[in-house]
Amino acid sequence: IFYSVISEAEQPAVIINALIFRLCPFLVGRIQYERMGSDVTMQCGSLDNDASVSWKVNGTDIKARHRLEGPRLLLTQVDLGHNGLYSCFQNPHGERRDTINLRIGTAPREPTVTCRSNTYPKGFYCSWHQQHSTYIPTEFEVDVHHNQRALEVQRDPVHKNRCHVRFPEVFSSFPYRVNVTAINDLGRASAAISFEESNIVKPDPPERVVATPIPNNVRRLEVTWNSPSTWPDVDNFPLKYFLRYRPLIRDQWQHVELSDSTSHTITDAYAGKEYIIQVAAKDTEIGTWSDWSVAVHATPWIEEPKQITSTTEQHGHTQTETLPNTQLLKYTHEQIHAQCFLLR
Amino acid sequence: MTKYLEYQLKEIKDTYLSYLGPPFNEKDFSPPRPNTTALSLPSAATRLELWRGLENRARLAQNQRAYSVLLAAVRELARSTLCPYLQTSLLHFCTGLDGLLGSISGLMTTLGYALPPPSAVSVGGSDGELQEPRRDVEGFWILRELQSWLWRSAKDFNRLKKRLRG
Repeated sequence: IFYSVISEAEQPAVIINALIFRLCPFLVGRIQYERMGSDVTMQCGSLDNDASVSWKVNGTDIKARHRLEGPRLLLTQVDLGHNGLYSCFQNPHGERRDTINLRIGTAPREPTVTCRSNTYPKGFYCSWHQQHSTYIPTEFEVDVHHNQRALEVQRDPVHKNRCHVRFPEVFSSFPYRVNVTAINDLGRASAAISFEESNIVKPDPPERVVATPIPNNVRRLEVTWNSPSTWPDVDNFPLKYFLRYRPLIRDQWQHVELSDSTSHTITDAYAGKEYIIQVAAKDTEIGTWSDWSVAVHATPWIEEPKQITSTTEQHGHTQTETLPNTQLLKYTHEQIHAQCFLLR
Repeated sequence: MTKYLEYQLKEIKDTYLSYLGPPFNEKDFSPPRPNTTALSLPSAATRLELWRGLENRARLAQNQRAYSVLLAAVRELARSTLCPYLQTSLLHFCTGLDGLLGSISGLMTTLGYALPPPSAVSVGGSDGELQEPRRDVEGFWILRELQSWLWRSAKDFNRLKKRLRG
């Protein structure tokens, strides 16, 4: 299966060139790919060796160092600056005889390949990338083998450097082998990885994490979440979860591991403090933990502050007087203790 | 119990592969699986829809048969191992495996399922000994398959638990 990789900047030009080339190849010119740093020879059509031609690049005179040998243009130690549309004109009348789209690039190097299953046991996907750009269009061939059988590979409709494979079976003892070959006009390079089914399983993070204060409980927060929607069968392939939380003003996390439950009540939160909470997921038997979920913030329930009024007795009458411009807040013993702990 | 055995097996497997030496102890090494009739290791691998559709009796019977064969295979592996430490570890592991097998058989009996007749488990050549040079490769695959079964069994028992509750 082939994947063609062209940079976004080049795409419109490449598409237009391809269309025009079909209609008027003479105008757009054939593409000539050459290796960076090499010496390049461009031949003007099929003219004889004694033909006399002149050359232009992108409609202007060639400024780079060059040499003419009959119908040939010689460039030395080319770099990306030599890219362009080279046209040759036969002397003495100046008829255009050829147009060459010179593209300088490099041969591909071994791509870096990784595979992961976030949809276990349905299938896995592999991604690859090149550490260094080749500057010219590069395609990729992917083949996947398992227990001496070639598996069907599906192209990702969105991500250009990604493919999908269905697991042919589960609980397999045989490794999978994925081979990715990068190919362009200047060469090819392959990279292969081998892995066991159980080692590449990594779910997506849990979704819809919600943290809610519990009325009349100054130290509790109820946290709920959903299993990742990409995990296809949570009943037969259950997930376990790891929850971490901390008050915003502290760096140290507290952790709780939970099996087969999508809710947890934090009971030791500091009263009145805003918390940050995250959850991660993992298959109960195999693979690795997911990335952390999106962080949610929550503060435990706080009692509304009450106005305190003073009362005085005078001549048998009780007078109640509200202290002007002063509000005394009523804290619980726990809240005061928590404040002192944090300050410490 | 499968998790405990899986953890124990990982350590034994690393020791065993070091004992075998290269290329067995090299990363990603996976020799071709011997296609011998004398050693028929039950494979944990199965098509997903088949696994999902297994009814309780068949699910337990597959586990019971697998561990019967694997227990005999590991015992033979222990017997033919020259390293005393590895032999002791393998035999100790067999005790745990025997316990697991007993639990499965006990569960089948409790649920009213007949236990499959004990199959004549023959490992290696006709005299029961693992023959060189296949022994190393067969030892590799015995432990590899055992690892897959312990992982699969955890999922099997989870499914059984849910079905029996329902």
